[in-house]
Amino acid sequence: MRAEGTPSAATRGATGVRVAPAAAARPAGDRPPTSMSTRRHRAFYMFASPWIIGFLLLTIVPMVYALWLSLTTYDGISPHWRFIGLANYRELFADPVTWDALGRAGLFALTSVPLSIVAGLGLAVLINRPLRARALFRTLLYLPAVVPPVGAGLAFKSLFDQNSGAANGVLNIFGIDALGWLADPYARYVLLMTVLWAAGNVMIISLAGLQDVPRELHEAARIDGAGAWRTFRSVTVPLLSPVLLFQTVTGVIASVQTIMPLLLAAEPTTGGVTAIPQSNYMYMMHVFAEYFALGRYGYASALLWVLFVLILVVTGLIFRFTSGVVFYNVDPEAKK
Amino acid sequence: MRTGRLVLYTVLVVVTGLFLGPFGWLVLTGLKTSAETAAAPVHWLPADFQWHNFADAFHLIDFLGYARNSLIIAFLYATLVTLSSAWVGYGFARLDAPGKKTLFGVLLGSMMLPQMITLLPTYLIFARLGMVDTYWPWVLWGLAAAPYLVFLFRQFFAGLPRELEEAAIVDGCGYATIFWRIFLPQSWPVLSASFVIAFTWTWGDYIAPQLLLSTDRSTLAVAVMSTYVTSAGTPVTHLQAAASVMYVVPILLIFLVAQRGFVAGMSTSGLK
Repeated sequence: MRAEGTPSAATRGATGVRVAPAAAARPAGDRPPTSMSTRRHRAFYMFASPWIIGFLLLTIVPMVYALWLSLTTYDGISPHWRFIGLANYRELFADPVTWDALGRAGLFALTSVPLSIVAGLGLAVLINRPLRARALFRTLLYLPAVVPPVGAGLAFKSLFDQNSGAANGVLNIFGIDALGWLADPYARYVLLMTVLWAAGNVMIISLAGLQDVPRELHEAARIDGAGAWRTFRSVTVPLLSPVLLFQTVTGVIASVQTIMPLLLAAEPTTGGVTAIPQSNYMYMMHVFAEYFALGRYGYASALLWVLFVLILVVTGLIFRFTSGVVFYNVDPEAKK
Repeated sequence: MRTGRLVLYTVLVVVTGLFLGPFGWLVLTGLKTSAETAAAPVHWLPADFQWHNFADAFHLIDFLGYARNSLIIAFLYATLVTLSSAWVGYGFARLDAPGKKTLFGVLLGSMMLPQMITLLPTYLIFARLGMVDTYWPWVLWGLAAAPYLVFLFRQFFAGLPRELEEAAIVDGCGYATIFWRIFLPQSWPVLSASFVIAFTWTWGDYIAPQLLLSTDRSTLAVAVMSTYVTSAGTPVTHLQAAASVMYVVPILLIFLVAQRGFVAGMSTSGLK
């Protein structure tokens, strides 16, 4: 396929302006470099347009629509919905359920993100040593991260079943009574375990980071008499800090939105709303409950927008507070 | 030194065992009788391996039908999003225009945008447009490119030498031609990594098909989760486990086959 209708600079130079009426209007051949670059500009936008249009239609429009809904009483059925200004926001801030759900989501992020980063980094460090069967270990440890959530959810459900689950089976061997893992207060620990199970994701990205750490730096540290732990802390971690920051930010965003394991752990017939253990009733679950169980689209949209703003603020704060700690490789030539 | 190695291997073997445990347990559960999956204390191994559970799970629901639906949307989305992301990634890697820097910032930022937050309003809009219960949402999502994959392709294309397209430009080829004829054929490793990643996302996705598709058009993820119930509504655990093994295994196989490219694809995106 040739670029339609746009004669190239070479053709225009050789055959004159007659081929392209649009070009004839301009003084032909006068400013070839400029028309080359406008062509490049136009081409850039041609290439970027699927994403730009998609972003506008599938991200910005829904967000604005949700913002509008959040100012109404819309419930999807009643034709008598109306504009109520900030009333939804006032209601949600006054509702202790919102704050409890938010608190649980925050606590979950504060525990699950550091745990999975430490676990993933730890595995990456182990795997990064000269090992036999390194590729095998790497593959097997990463495997849980590709198990679809539905499979993972069912696996953990049967693993922690109160009667026939393996977890209670192990406790039984040690003479400990069976625990109700999937109910309060243990349900949150099971949830944490499902997150840790997928630490292979962090492992893979950390591993790539580790392999970029220049050998000489480790050797220099060793010559200076630094032990393994000291080298890890003072050389490896600072060099990995951009990767760790990326993991932290995406981890926090993902954990706050956690919904699938919660829905999966609930009874399918109740829309996943009432059968969920209290300790796992987190913010996103609350949004789902308002959306689908109660059909309060306006109110739920307000909840979504509050969460969106909170995520922006938290992400901003993370970047702010790590700016002095995160070490970017200032000498890109060093790698080559 | 020797003992250090021994400890290292022991730790790795134990951790790997723990990581494989839940999946192994799921397989065992799928091989038990209904009574065994409910009995206390635990039956570690089934008294008789109930291999027919897999056939039963297959026939109890329209397993093939749901699998076909899953395949269609995963294939549709993965193909479209891989091509559109490569297309957009080429633009960001090899062309420039005023505003490109800002746009790239927005693109990277949008990777951090909470997806669930747009999904619910998107659902309402699709419902209004009559696109609920069709596969159009996946087509649209596919055509719109995915920031993560765009970034992957950009990194790859940016690393290719300038000389690659110079002759073509002198010959007067359009950028679209250059993209199709020169850059795309060079990018097989990224294309396959992107396809596998996108396919896995869609195959594993539960929320979007649950929201957007009716029961018989829905995917295996939804079916495995919600259709293995008795008429009283209690889940049939052993068949559900067998079905979810059959649902998970294709993804594991794809991952194992494509492992190298997949891992390379994941790791180049570490945002260093």
